[in-house]
Amino acid sequence: MDFAIIASNIDIYLEGLKNTLILVSISLIFGLVMAIPLAVLRTSGNLYVQAPIRAFVYFFRGTPLLVQMFLVYYGFGQFEAMRESVLWPLFREAYFCALFTFALNTCAYTTEIIRGSIVATPHGEIEAARAAGMSTFLMLRRIVLPSAFRRALPAYSNEIIFMLHGSSLASVITIIDITGAARIVNSRYYSPWEAFLTAAVFYMAITFTIVFFVRKLEKLWQRHLMPLEQLDTKIEAPSI
Amino acid sequence: MNNGQEAISVENLYKRFGENEVLRGVDLSAGKGEVISVLGSSGSGKSTLLRCINFLEIPDSGIIRVAGEEVLMKTNRRGGTLPADMRQVERIRARLAMVFQQFNLWSHMTILANVMEAPLHVLKLEKKEVRDRAMHYLDKVGIADKHNAYPVHLSGGQQQRAAIARALAMEPEVILFDEPTSALDPELVGEVLQVMRNLAFEGRTMIVVTHEMGFAREVSSRIIFLDQGLIIEDGSPQEVFEAPKSDRFKTFVSAMM
Repeated sequence: MDFAIIASNIDIYLEGLKNTLILVSISLIFGLVMAIPLAVLRTSGNLYVQAPIRAFVYFFRGTPLLVQMFLVYYGFGQFEAMRESVLWPLFREAYFCALFTFALNTCAYTTEIIRGSIVATPHGEIEAARAAGMSTFLMLRRIVLPSAFRRALPAYSNEIIFMLHGSSLASVITIIDITGAARIVNSRYYSPWEAFLTAAVFYMAITFTIVFFVRKLEKLWQRHLMPLEQLDTKIEAPSI
Repeated sequence: MNNGQEAISVENLYKRFGENEVLRGVDLSAGKGEVISVLGSSGSGKSTLLRCINFLEIPDSGIIRVAGEEVLMKTNRRGGTLPADMRQVERIRARLAMVFQQFNLWSHMTILANVMEAPLHVLKLEKKEVRDRAMHYLDKVGIADKHNAYPVHLSGGQQQRAAIARALAMEPEVILFDEPTSALDPELVGEVLQVMRNLAFEGRTMIVVTHEMGFAREVSSRIIFLDQGLIIEDGSPQEVFEAPKSDRFKTFVSAMM
């Protein structure tokens, strides 16, 4: 094993790291911002509002991310109308296609996560909000969503990590993310072990950074769920 | 204590859940400063009556007036009734505070934030004023020292007192209590009743659905007894307890005592 290869090609990895971080953070932000109104509408009673959202979520949760990305990157270009539309300069670019697919994919999963935690709002807290004279919008903004976000946090932190790991698929459509960088280094030196182990270390470092910050946020946001004396739950195995 | 001004009036209220007719023509008027205890066995419609007054349940028919203002209703396509203007309902709800059996504090907020929430965002009052008001009422119910705690960290009795402070902070015209002590451990009931007793003596208008006979008898200015969706006793505690008109009430009281 020769890790000197990595040291001399570290700039490729740093370029990859930059691309991974941009791809993942932009798609997470767009996905989350779109998921909040979608989740609220999804819980509304109206079937005509619900149906398209359900269809969207079913499609993106029911198919693999790679297939979705191929459909967008290779598939869209097959249609004359798309090639002549004003959007074509965007969809011609692999980078935009990856961003587009990732954002919609994480949006679908996040919609379900938030919907689940909205539905789990204790009924009495909603009644108390209504009885205090809150409008539906005020109640969503002040009571339902803040409490739903807190419940959604553990599941959403998983979604962030899945998105990070899923983003490695972008390397398949020519994007130089962390995995793409590893593929370049591997093909240059034919040393897959060093190349991909380095990629793995990068992903692990990002994952643990995310976990660290989510833990901090949990401590801050979930104080209302924790017992006063000790802030860590320990589950002991039953003694036999 | 009735000084003639009407706080709430209910006329000919009907409410059914499917086949079950819960309220079958209830008339009730509460004057300012009255403390009305609503008694009745479970299923008699007493909670539903209370919940219809602030439209947590929508009555099928009947007229509800709060401080003289009638809540306008309309009929939808399927023949059901609903409020004509939700904004009017929201405005009226803000004048009627409610205390629930299960406290229903907002669990992600501290006690102080719970009490400040509606005055701040529904009544849109100044933050500093609301904070002072909230601390004043928390002090009044005896849990000012817990203002930074979250609901889960308090006992049931403390949570219910916080919920009462939350209701008081709206400075409502009427406070509706829906079995406020029924979810509490017996030893915690006293502290909540004591707070309610003080409120009654201050001359606040209260409608209390309760099973606490002692409280009803000692504190209320009027007793109402509901049976199968109808009011069958209505009078001062002496009248109702000492000379009930119905046999049903006698059996009810003897079963409770």
